[in-house]
Amino acid sequence: MQMQLGDACEGVLTVSLVGRLDTPGVDRIETQLTAHLVPRGARVIVDLSQVAFIASGGIRMFITIARALGRRGGKLVLYGAQTLVAEVFQTTSLNEIIPVRADAAAAAAVARG
Amino acid sequence: MNPQRVELRFPGTRDRIAPAFADFRRVLDAEQLVAAPRYHAELVFDEIVSNIVRHGAQPGGELAVCVTVELRPEAIVLTFEDDGVPFDPRVREDPAPRRSLEDAKAGGSGLMLVRRAASSLDYLRTADGRNRLTVRVARREQGA
Repeated sequence: MQMQLGDACEGVLTVSLVGRLDTPGVDRIETQLTAHLVPRGARVIVDLSQVAFIASGGIRMFITIARALGRRGGKLVLYGAQTLVAEVFQTTSLNEIIPVRADAAAAAAVARG
Repeated sequence: MNPQRVELRFPGTRDRIAPAFADFRRVLDAEQLVAAPRYHAELVFDEIVSNIVRHGAQPGGELAVCVTVELRPEAIVLTFEDDGVPFDPRVREDPAPRRSLEDAKAGGSGLMLVRRAASSLDYLRTADGRNRLTVRVARREQGA
């Protein structure tokens, strides 16, 4: 699992995750992702189009980061989820508490609002 | 035709999850699996093995895990055996649906995901004190 950082645009950061958000993947990325986003209270959109797999550890990671961001005036929005990843979001009700959108433009609009 | 059967044995420590998972995926690579059954099998593996490693060790003890992978025409059958504390995952209820970010429990979704991915779940505590969980993942999607 790798993290690619994009430029900020209109106050919204873009992060692209590449790989698998399985247990080892989350172990590799969580500390770095949290450190990059939470202290600054970022408004961030996360590109999941290159994430082929997510399990409950990834769900836990996103909820933890989203909650920490929310408390600092930031916001986490996910976009581009592949079909089976989106299915996990539905099963776990993640999409009820963290915005999930189809593309970057829609995600950025939510993050700015 | 006998189903293909592969055994993966590894210590139940966090650093061994990644290589065990890689070995498991190589077993699946040899089969021509449709995307959804493959994903569900990987989900079951990740959730069950992670739970065993995280919660299973007896106080002061080491944990040994064995995952048997049976590739049948109609299903992928995964049998997880460990010598850790007794645990029947079937008795754990699904968490309540998450409704608000502030109140939502971050963890606890793993067994729910396993139950959704599996067509059956069978557990027994063996006579020699091992947990044995057998999870069946259908190879054909519903309606296919």
